[in-house]
Amino acid sequence: MGHFEATIITIITMSSPLIFAVIGETISERVGIVNLSMEGTLMITALIGFAVTVTTNSPYIGIIASGLLGGGIALFIVLINFRFHINQIAIGFILTILLWKLSSYLGQSYVRIPGPYLDIITIPYLSKIPFFGPIIFDNNILTISSIFLIPISWYFLFKTQLGITLRSVGENPESADARGINVRKTRLLYATLGGILIGIGGAAFSLHVKYGWSESHTVNYGWIALAIVIFGGWNPIRGSIGVYGFGTLQILALKLQSVTIGFSQILPLIPFPLMILTLVLIQIANKNNGIGLPKLIRILILGNQPQSLGITYKKNV
Amino acid sequence: MSMYQNIFKNIITVLISVIIVTIVLFALQASPFEIYATLFDGAFGNLDKLSRTMLITSIMALTGLALVITFSAGLWNIGIEGQVLFGAIGATFIARSFLGNLFIAPIIAIIFGGISGGFLGLLSSILKTKFNVHEIFGGLGLDFLASGLIVYLVIGPWKREGIASTGGTDLFPEASWVPNIGNYNFPIFPILIMLTIFILLYFLLNRTSLGLKLIATGLNSNATEKFKINSSEYIAYAFIIAGVVGGIAGSIQATSIYHKLVPNISGGYGFLGILIALIAGKNLSSILLISFVFASIMVGGVQLQLRLGMDSSFPYIIESVFVLAWLITRASNIDYKIANYIFLRR
Repeated sequence: MGHFEATIITIITMSSPLIFAVIGETISERVGIVNLSMEGTLMITALIGFAVTVTTNSPYIGIIASGLLGGGIALFIVLINFRFHINQIAIGFILTILLWKLSSYLGQSYVRIPGPYLDIITIPYLSKIPFFGPIIFDNNILTISSIFLIPISWYFLFKTQLGITLRSVGENPESADARGINVRKTRLLYATLGGILIGIGGAAFSLHVKYGWSESHTVNYGWIALAIVIFGGWNPIRGSIGVYGFGTLQILALKLQSVTIGFSQILPLIPFPLMILTLVLIQIANKNNGIGLPKLIRILILGNQPQSLGITYKKNV
Repeated sequence: MSMYQNIFKNIITVLISVIIVTIVLFALQASPFEIYATLFDGAFGNLDKLSRTMLITSIMALTGLALVITFSAGLWNIGIEGQVLFGAIGATFIARSFLGNLFIAPIIAIIFGGISGGFLGLLSSILKTKFNVHEIFGGLGLDFLASGLIVYLVIGPWKREGIASTGGTDLFPEASWVPNIGNYNFPIFPILIMLTIFILLYFLLNRTSLGLKLIATGLNSNATEKFKINSSEYIAYAFIIAGVVGGIAGSIQATSIYHKLVPNISGGYGFLGILIALIAGKNLSSILLISFVFASIMVGGVQLQLRLGMDSSFPYIIESVFVLAWLITRASNIDYKIANYIFLRR
């Protein structure tokens, strides 16, 4: 295995938690629900995934537990929003602080203890394919599924009837309702699905990429994922490009650590200026529908946020 | 609803929220009443502790007051954390310059800190009004930009003699420290600043046309546009005012608590200010009261660690559960129903 190939494998492996988190949040925001609790959700699901794994001695049960908890948190945000019309941003923000601090309290007895690892799944024959084989077919379940999740979620969102329904609820719930779509049910379903993916992302941290648990184990990754969702223009493929780009920067920072002190400390902050820049570019490009821009750039920066993102839907009775 | 009924309703909401916090603490296998007693003693047990509580109250109240201005204009100023950080950077800039040795250095530092925070607020408003970037994402971006800048300054241009560590810059010259009064370090100046800003903002919101237009923009920016009120302009004012007030909070952190610039100089008080403002809504005087309670929990929380050996996360858990319970109780109208039931039966 060449050095280049090994680096690619490292980047893809390291990026798997953010892929889950970014795609989960993308689905949730596409249906109109901002899950601002992501920073806290990743933290607590990383802890629960690891704790359950250590207790049951099975990483797979750990992943399921994380997914369920992530889904439950998203469900809570949606239900509170539906029932009491409390702003999604407010609930998400409070949950961010609450879940983060809860994780550091509940996780005290799990700090830096050993536990079982995920198995490497080697698919015979396919893993022998040059280059792609070792990446896709000779890895653990989380990395493998993170790779497959990208095209599947893109196809689902943009090429299926269900995906169109989902996006129409996020863009204009009133007209979706007029077409006979049950807005609340759709939002509930997909926001929860998004939450499950975010939860699995949390497990991918503590069971794989950053094995184990320590206080504030996934600190800042939730905010980074939130920034990358926007950088990706609410598109799973563009979002994933953002995640892998960030992964590449992380590897670079590791290699450059001896040369430039401090770069690794500034690195987690890089996605944010990029996010702001993207939002500004999206706005400029959308002003004249990208006319006059090269096609590649148009594909890269066009696409606005879902129009009813974060807005509480109140059905007119 | 009369004023008394309203106060009564608030008391009921507080009671319900405290009960929920107590239940959560039980669920976490902590003993709530021991915690409450320790918190109380830790915040008010002696004059030193009381001074500390008042100092933190003034800082939290400033961030809370800043957020009432943006809330009034209908804005989510999550960039407050960055505005606090920028305030600290601005104050540090003054303290490290030749001005830092003047006897009025703290005043200049705090004013310049306010200006720096206001600058970041202005950036938020430009992103929002010119580029249609939602203030949450713009604000978060600027928060991280500000913390990146601090890390850069602390390990780069402003590093300590010979050592580049994230431990902070050199201490400021003592002339730029905000002086405290008496043996107990009573934070008289931060409190005076807090009260002055409270009065100014109260006057602004209730007695000036700027305040009125700001609130009108928050209620319905489409309608105000029809009255020829340029809502972008008032969004900018709201962000700048909030930035200045947040910046002052940051400069007090730098000149009165740390006496140097450290990476986490905001202490998270910007984000905690959002929790405070979620309860207070658009009510400035509530901010002072809630800040006092929350600051007591933060300061008293130190004793939870020292005396009961509890995790440092408890003050945050108590506060966030309280705010969540408060919002849900309010939104569910349970407090209103209980208040009405009791009043009508009498």
